[in-house]
Amino acid sequence: MLEPPFLEPETVGLRRWWPVVALLAGIATILSVTVLSARSEPVADAPTNTHVSRQTALAQSVAKLQATLRKLPGDAPAWAQLGSSYVEIARITVDPTYYAKAQGALDRSLTLRPDGNGPALMGMGALANARHEFALARDWGQKAAVAAPHTAEVYGVLADALTQLGDDTGSADAVQKMLDLKPNVSSFTRASYYFEMHGRDDDAQSAMNRALGAAGAPDEIAYSRYYLGELAFNTGRLDEADSQYTQGLAVVPDDPALTEGHAKVLAAQGKADDALKLYRVLVTRAPLPQYILEYAELLDANGRSSRDQYAILAQQQRLLEAQGATDDLTAALVAADHGDKAEALRRAQAEWGRRQSVFVADALAWALHVNGRDAEAAQYAEKAAALGWNNALFAYHRGMIAYSLGQLGDAEKYLDTALRTNPHFSVPHAPTAQKTLTQLRSAR
Amino acid sequence: MLLAAGAALAGGLIPGPASASSHREAPLIAADPTVDNTDLYAFVSPDKHDTVTLVANFFGFQEPNGGPNFYPWATDAHYDINIDNDGDAKPDLTYRYVFSTDDRRKNNTFLYNNGEVTSINDENLLFRQNYSIQLMDHHSGKSQYVVQNARVAPSNTGPASMPDYRTLRDQAIAKVYGGGVSYAGPSDDAFFADLRVFDLLYGGNLSEVGQDTLRGYNVNTVALQIPSHMLALKGDAKRNPNIGIWSDTERQSLKLAPGSAKAEGPFVQVSRLGNPLVNEVVSPAGLKDAFNGLTPDKDHTVQALLDRVNVPELPQLIEKIYQIKAPDTPRADLVEIFLTGISKKVGGPINVDLNSQVNNMDVDKNEFVPSEMLRLNMSVMPAAQPNRLGVLGGDTQGFPNGRRLTDDVVDIAVQAMEGAAQSGQLVEALATGDKVDANDVAFEQRFPYVAVPSNAAVNSAVQTKIENKASAFASIPTAAFVGGALGALVLVAGAVWMWRKRPTKARHRNNRPW
Repeated sequence: MLEPPFLEPETVGLRRWWPVVALLAGIATILSVTVLSARSEPVADAPTNTHVSRQTALAQSVAKLQATLRKLPGDAPAWAQLGSSYVEIARITVDPTYYAKAQGALDRSLTLRPDGNGPALMGMGALANARHEFALARDWGQKAAVAAPHTAEVYGVLADALTQLGDDTGSADAVQKMLDLKPNVSSFTRASYYFEMHGRDDDAQSAMNRALGAAGAPDEIAYSRYYLGELAFNTGRLDEADSQYTQGLAVVPDDPALTEGHAKVLAAQGKADDALKLYRVLVTRAPLPQYILEYAELLDANGRSSRDQYAILAQQQRLLEAQGATDDLTAALVAADHGDKAEALRRAQAEWGRRQSVFVADALAWALHVNGRDAEAAQYAEKAAALGWNNALFAYHRGMIAYSLGQLGDAEKYLDTALRTNPHFSVPHAPTAQKTLTQLRSAR
Repeated sequence: MLLAAGAALAGGLIPGPASASSHREAPLIAADPTVDNTDLYAFVSPDKHDTVTLVANFFGFQEPNGGPNFYPWATDAHYDINIDNDGDAKPDLTYRYVFSTDDRRKNNTFLYNNGEVTSINDENLLFRQNYSIQLMDHHSGKSQYVVQNARVAPSNTGPASMPDYRTLRDQAIAKVYGGGVSYAGPSDDAFFADLRVFDLLYGGNLSEVGQDTLRGYNVNTVALQIPSHMLALKGDAKRNPNIGIWSDTERQSLKLAPGSAKAEGPFVQVSRLGNPLVNEVVSPAGLKDAFNGLTPDKDHTVQALLDRVNVPELPQLIEKIYQIKAPDTPRADLVEIFLTGISKKVGGPINVDLNSQVNNMDVDKNEFVPSEMLRLNMSVMPAAQPNRLGVLGGDTQGFPNGRRLTDDVVDIAVQAMEGAAQSGQLVEALATGDKVDANDVAFEQRFPYVAVPSNAAVNSAVQTKIENKASAFASIPTAAFVGGALGALVLVAGAVWMWRKRPTKARHRNNRPW
């Protein structure tokens, strides 16, 4: 395998393989410092926001670390930090070549300091999570916890891995340890997610409110606002969601996640053109698969061509796999709805072999359903409901499976639940749910 | 000051999953800047010799143009300044600050102020905070409010918004019940250092120094001036002039177990700071994290900590690179500086009575417990001509006897790590230190002594030469400041940090990157 040149100067955000003008957008992002446009109210000083984008900050940090490491190649902690920075960059830019760079830097750190190297072990765990190798992430996380038992972030890495693996008790323990070491935005947010996954919506809201209460820096506030927005959106509270995303954007105007939230709200409000415009800007700036998929689905719903977007998704998948990462879960869901049904099932089954969490149960249920195997699908849909998550998409899947099986009472119940939970749960599927539900009711 | 790994990754959290919605991710290191201790100072007030001034700074690396939110204090935390006057490593007194927000913006605006602010209660000031201080007496078990609902000085939102910030700042000085004055609000970061010095030290090149990395940044400050006798054991500052001081912040956690997500359970200590030297000692990061959660009374039970003090890493590195021989270990002199205070009674090599509680007449030496904290001898009167090298410069009012704003702790620390405190001799080869010998903005002659916060972007800060009597240096190359607070973090990320505490992100912790 080619040794990655992880000491070469970085041009973060350079998406070399992209046919679109992402390159320029990416560089613009790196070089830009966000400034709020001057307000129209009579105010003495125009409020300026010199919030440096995360990408810029990371790029600068990486440059500094590289300079240090050229002088002091034996600095194990610096290698570990460089590795973790690369993982972070990979996550933001969706450039999987950074995984290899991260691996190289972290390996070097561990070679220099093989024992008790908490930061490198934790970095390895984060890298594994990013590559969706959750069992490996758990193993690294456990080693990190032995090396650095008082480091809260270690339990964050573990919690993420265990949640994805479907180890409910394990992930609860890890989140609680994290909370007991450092009650802050990061741990409160994980607690909120835990509550949400278990159907404890009020507690999820409380925990997220605590996160906002603990938030001080702009990025912390943006992060908290985003997840407060998500909680509201996922439970159909559109105005509240809008308010949260907007307040977050006032603090960090170009934040990708908040932008996605805003675009989602616009779409749900029927402002398709505005939503599409915003999605286009968003995916150019931050090509996360989730955003591209939402954009594609919105294009579809509005009779526009989405072919490019699906092509980009496929390309991303290929590049990811070329770097040794897999995301069969996402690929299965995308394929089930928009691609090859046999492939959807193959991937979902492969993922189930690796881990049996509610996310995968739901994906496998749906993949089986689109392949006409509804009896089996129903069993997996039931597993997906095991934790009590009030997840509209899961309920929708379960409802459509019941419908295919002729279990009309159940179908009506689940589809109704889906739409009551969030009438805007999915651009392509919410209308289907509504149509089917109307049909069921009129047939009664 | 914080550096660090976290800092580099911090800036905060990036929301959003990297893949489809099933996978919720967050950045690796979580910053918590509002409750991050960056510096602690303690000194006999130069203009009021019967009082002590305690200054604790939080939330470092504040880029002045930080709108629209600027830099609020956490309202879900305790900010504590603790005093140990009997040497048992447990707090005898705690001044507990709690902040609250009075947000008059509602949903109408995001503006911090919607017009010129000429007084601290100007109707144009929309975002306000207030604070109370509870004085907890751990012996009597009693606590009482000594400051109630006082006004926090607002963030400096700009020269047009706040043309006369000094007036606002003075209006934020509150009387303390029982004696003394208090201030809470922003200030120009008093810490001065070229944070690159450690990186370059190891690079074997002392030529790139002289740039105050913290120039132009603000911090959140609490400053408290209290009559000395109120802090002393048995209220007698003549018999018991030595006190230990440390600051810590804590926040309530949350329980996942069935019940509710209400804030409940004990408060968790999330940050702690005493002696500015401690950071070098407690690196690497695992120990640093442990240290942040540790109370001083437990320090002596943590073997890893004791080992780091007795066999410090920095002198070994300096020896490797500069061939300056590291002092023999175990370093009983550092144990004196860090863990006991300097006293003839502790049997260490620095045979001077300076600042240990063990020297208090009413302290039983057998009850004394070593611990990491800043130690101040309240009977050492302010020096007429303070020497930035403190005790090492022959000025016994200076660090490590407490810490004054003007003490050059970076240079002092390098010398101390190299054994200057026990030999009584500065190490010549390192004598010029980081060539940042003073803060770029002058401190003030009266409470709260810290300079008013800057209202100009850090990028725009004009670099001025800082005269150094010890060495004349050619004009400092104007460094290209990487934009913004996080840019400064770039400069320090990766550097070995000494003396500073950490946060994670956004102006965060200064720890050695892991």
